[in-house]
Amino acid sequence: MHPTKSGRWITQTVSSTYLSEAVAIWLRDLRSEFRTRYAVNSILMFALTTLVAVSFSIGSFRIEEAERPFLYAVLLWIILVFSALSGLSRSFVKEQETGTMDILKLSARPQAVFLGKLFFNLTMLGVLELIIVPAFILLMGYKIKFPGCFVAMMVTGGLGLGAGTTLVAAMIAQANTRGALFSALSFPLLLPLIITAIKGSERAAYGISAAGWPEIKIAAAYAVIMITVSLLLFPLIWEE
Amino acid sequence: MIYKILLSIWMSLIITAVFLYVEPATGFPGEVSRILFFHVPMAWVATLAFLLSMIASCVYLITRKVNADFLAQSSAELGFLFCFLATVTGSIFAKATWGSFWNWDPRETSIVMLLMIYGAYFVLRSAVPDHEKRRVFAGVYSILAFCTVPFLVFIVPRITTSLHPEDTLNPAKPGMDVKTLIFFLGSLCAYTGLFVWMLRLKVRVLRIMDKELNVKFKV
Repeated sequence: MHPTKSGRWITQTVSSTYLSEAVAIWLRDLRSEFRTRYAVNSILMFALTTLVAVSFSIGSFRIEEAERPFLYAVLLWIILVFSALSGLSRSFVKEQETGTMDILKLSARPQAVFLGKLFFNLTMLGVLELIIVPAFILLMGYKIKFPGCFVAMMVTGGLGLGAGTTLVAAMIAQANTRGALFSALSFPLLLPLIITAIKGSERAAYGISAAGWPEIKIAAAYAVIMITVSLLLFPLIWEE
Repeated sequence: MIYKILLSIWMSLIITAVFLYVEPATGFPGEVSRILFFHVPMAWVATLAFLLSMIASCVYLITRKVNADFLAQSSAELGFLFCFLATVTGSIFAKATWGSFWNWDPRETSIVMLLMIYGAYFVLRSAVPDHEKRRVFAGVYSILAFCTVPFLVFIVPRITTSLHPEDTLNPAKPGMDVKTLIFFLGSLCAYTGLFVWMLRLKVRVLRIMDKELNVKFKV
């Protein structure tokens, strides 16, 4: 009866894949973030403040040489995790506050929304790590024997952080106490990842080689499992 | 009623017997090993309760039957209680044998992780005002959290070594004599029975509260 209308409908569903929808949401979020700079500012300021506090109170010579690889790895990951927790919930809370959540529900499939938000959070984490990790290394005099493994640990650790928190962000956006709830819910989920990431960074800094770098594999496995489970569960909380 | 009476007699018998009849295991100072009859059943009930809660959450997410969510919530609350008791008794045992209440043994790490996950689960439940949404979120969170548990159970012990008396006090190993084994299994049954009784009470309370609430809203 209505060839143009039905024709358009068919071309639309065929032409837009999950990935293209996800990328569209990702680019839209990046654009709106570029205009307001709310999430990136809050994450970076939190990270810089903690970094300055740590550097001021410990400095680069207070801890003995032998202890440094381990203690610095702990400090670095504490800074990274808590800065990430201070701002990553923004991706979904923003939709709730500006009232765009319903339109987003109508215009994209749930898995695509999840992937788009995940890409956005991973971008934020990438920016955070690119700025904070070199600053930490310079300020604290962190000597790393295996830079390649250290970088791989940072990348997989960041992936895991994004994977473990995105679904929680979607849930707390619809709850009534948002700020503290995000950290409270995410932290137990992230604990295995944090333990692994600290161990891996410590090993890269010490220069102890082990067959196959188990920590990097564990962090990557964690990220894959969390993304898969989140993709399966996300439609349940999104379509409520 | 009859269940309650039988359970109370059974538990009193077991508790009296493990203190007066069973000899303490060799290789442990003094009476310390008697904690086996309390600590292990508590840990077992906590595991059972969390597993049940997880399964009930899945059932709720598939069928959307409110009763499944009542079961998931009650089971999680009781699991938390037993998990806490297992932590306390384990800590007392640690003080008596290893010399400190807490030293981040892998077992201690994973039990704290469990307490934190379910602590967060209750926080989430209290933070979502809408009933339906709260049930779905709680179910989703418990499944998500369950997926991180293998990492702690299998990976953290590989990174550090455990002091937990696995071989000396494991009922599956032939190290335990018959008398101890019988009373250990009796204690396991008693605690499981206690859990079932408490669970039924808790589910009933939730069901009545839900009914009351609905009546209030209708009037």
